[in-house]
Amino acid sequence: MEETRAYIESGILELYVMGQLSAHEMQEVAQRAAISPEIRQEIEAIELALEHYALKTGIEPRSDLFAAIEASINAEAKVNSIETSNTATLPAQEPVKETSVTEPIRKSIRPLQYALAACVALLIVSLIALLNAHTKLEDANEQILSLRTEKDRYASGMNVLKKTNSELQTVADMVDDPNWAIVQLAGTKTAPTAKMMVYWNRKSLNVVVDKSRLKLPENNQSQQYQLWAIVAGKPVDLGVFDVKSDSTDMLIKMKEVSKAEAFAVTLEKRGGSVNPTMENMVVFAGVSI
Amino acid sequence: MTTPNKIKLSEEALVAALRNRDIIAMKALYDMYSGALLGVILRITQHTELAEDLLQETFLKIWHAADKYDASKGRLFTWMINIARNLAIDKIRSKDYKNSEKNQDIENNVAVVDNQKEQIINIEVLGLRDLVTGLKPELASVLDMVYYKGFTHTEAAEELNLPLGTVKTRIRMAILELRKQFNFGRN
Repeated sequence: MEETRAYIESGILELYVMGQLSAHEMQEVAQRAAISPEIRQEIEAIELALEHYALKTGIEPRSDLFAAIEASINAEAKVNSIETSNTATLPAQEPVKETSVTEPIRKSIRPLQYALAACVALLIVSLIALLNAHTKLEDANEQILSLRTEKDRYASGMNVLKKTNSELQTVADMVDDPNWAIVQLAGTKTAPTAKMMVYWNRKSLNVVVDKSRLKLPENNQSQQYQLWAIVAGKPVDLGVFDVKSDSTDMLIKMKEVSKAEAFAVTLEKRGGSVNPTMENMVVFAGVSI
Repeated sequence: MTTPNKIKLSEEALVAALRNRDIIAMKALYDMYSGALLGVILRITQHTELAEDLLQETFLKIWHAADKYDASKGRLFTWMINIARNLAIDKIRSKDYKNSEKNQDIENNVAVVDNQKEQIINIEVLGLRDLVTGLKPELASVLDMVYYKGFTHTEAAEELNLPLGTVKTRIRMAILELRKQFNFGRN
């Protein structure tokens, strides 16, 4: 009791009520108050006296201050639980400011969002178109390639035709030219069905074999046909030629001869012989003019 | 303080309503205590507009910190006035407040005139208070420094050039005097 009295009279409880003590000291006073009703009563008496003092010396705030406090509390409540309560117009409300600031931002973002979506869509369409174009290009390339080979084939065919044409022209010219003698060689006993044509120009001395009008059996790899001119009763070598079914040449130019009484063809060894093998003679004709 | 449209509730009902986040508790607290709290804040800040801002801040803090109020440690008003005092002291000791004070001193005479006017009002308030409380000046000055001006009792002892023990004793005596008057007023 004595101790409690002294504690009360030390003035620590007044400082406690006025918040003048350290957290540690506050704790200590609170603990003592919890076990001592006397201390509790003393504290309450001090509190009531100061409360009374404060009320007596109080100063009235301006009349609209509570409305501002209420507005702040309501505004916070609105932010916390998005209520749509329509309280009085509020002077300085943060949430109102907030929405009025974020709203234009949201509005300015919206077209950007549309633009982004449009860009993505355009990109997708472009990619599809690109892919499409790519496959078409590949098709086109393949076609170009096949057309080129076809063209090459036609071109080579054309060359053949051109050559054939020029040779035909030559033949046609020969007929008109009186210097050309056309000698028709007929088959002998060894080859009764054989026949061929030889053109001989008495002036230029050219000798040409017409393969298009030639009917001779094909020679094998070790043999060749050899053309002979009979000059003053003696055979003169005019060169060798092959008879093959796939040959494209129409005219074969042979060696020149100045005089000939007759032409003959024999089958000889490849490269030709010095003297004709008479039993292998396939065609023969005398020159009439 | 009791006018027809002002609310008054018992302390238990007030605390319960406050914890229920009932705005009526705020209205009641405001009606009962806004004047007392503003009196403390204004005496610390010496500036009406700033004091009213701080009063608003005080009530918002009370609203938010209601859960932290512990009835076993003291009365609701004691808790509230300590919040108000601490906010006011923090404000006048803050950097930006000191800077604005400095600017006013340098810049304009109007502020000085205003200040003087407020000073006069405050003297009147103080004089009125002394009349109301009837405290002896040596008791009133110590109590006011701690309760109203935001001095710690150690600071008050230094300021008044008194031993710490004397300051404590004077505070106790001042409050005892107030208790006598309060009990007398009740009886």
